[in-house]
Amino acid sequence: MATPSIAANAYATLAKLTDPSALTKGGAGQALGGGSSFGDMLKDAVEAINKTTRNSDIQTQAAAAGKANIVDVVTAVAESEVAIDALVSVRDKVISAYEEIMKMPI
Amino acid sequence: MDFLKSIAIAASGLRAQAGRMRVISENLANADTAASSAGVEPYRRRVATFKSEVDRALDAQIVSLGRVATDPSEFRVKNEPGHPAADQNGNVKYPNVNPLVEMTDLREAQRSYEANINVISASRRMIQRTLEILKS
Repeated sequence: MATPSIAANAYATLAKLTDPSALTKGGAGQALGGGSSFGDMLKDAVEAINKTTRNSDIQTQAAAAGKANIVDVVTAVAESEVAIDALVSVRDKVISAYEEIMKMPI
Repeated sequence: MDFLKSIAIAASGLRAQAGRMRVISENLANADTAASSAGVEPYRRRVATFKSEVDRALDAQIVSLGRVATDPSEFRVKNEPGHPAADQNGNVKYPNVNPLVEMTDLREAQRSYEANINVISASRRMIQRTLEILKS
């Protein structure tokens, strides 16, 4: 099983990002510069997803070659599907939140 | 994540039931494999056993196909004097496979497989329904 907790990690990183105590400790600028920005979170999550997707690719290729069990393919593909779904949802949500802020009249 | 764990556990059930199906099909295919000559034993029925084991990565009990044991019960004996494997009395030993029992086993394996598939699709649905909260 490759990284079944990508989504959880993504949420944890996001929670850290939006954690008010982190802001009071380091300040908003610190949070952005300290490597826990949304871009970094997205990058980490995409890398993790790359890993699961590669695993599902390997399983699919092995199955096509007649070496792997079809059950392993299904679980690997389902796993990467869930990971991608979770990341895309988080990204969409954060981007729509950003747009909402940008629309705000100043 | 627990949902992915339950999918992986159900997948181990799928693998185990698939192995059981393999053993059942061996039995059914060899149901009429009589001995080749008088002194030789015919095909002996094989029984799939399951064993529960701890998967360290998942931290859960998964199932796997254990030892495939043989059924020690008596062989069927038919009186066929013309058969090449007949003994002095004209009796031929046939495998101790009862197709009716095998078909029942097969149905059971099929239903267990479907139950595990249902666990997988239910878990997937639950994950997707949860993610839909984010999308709305």
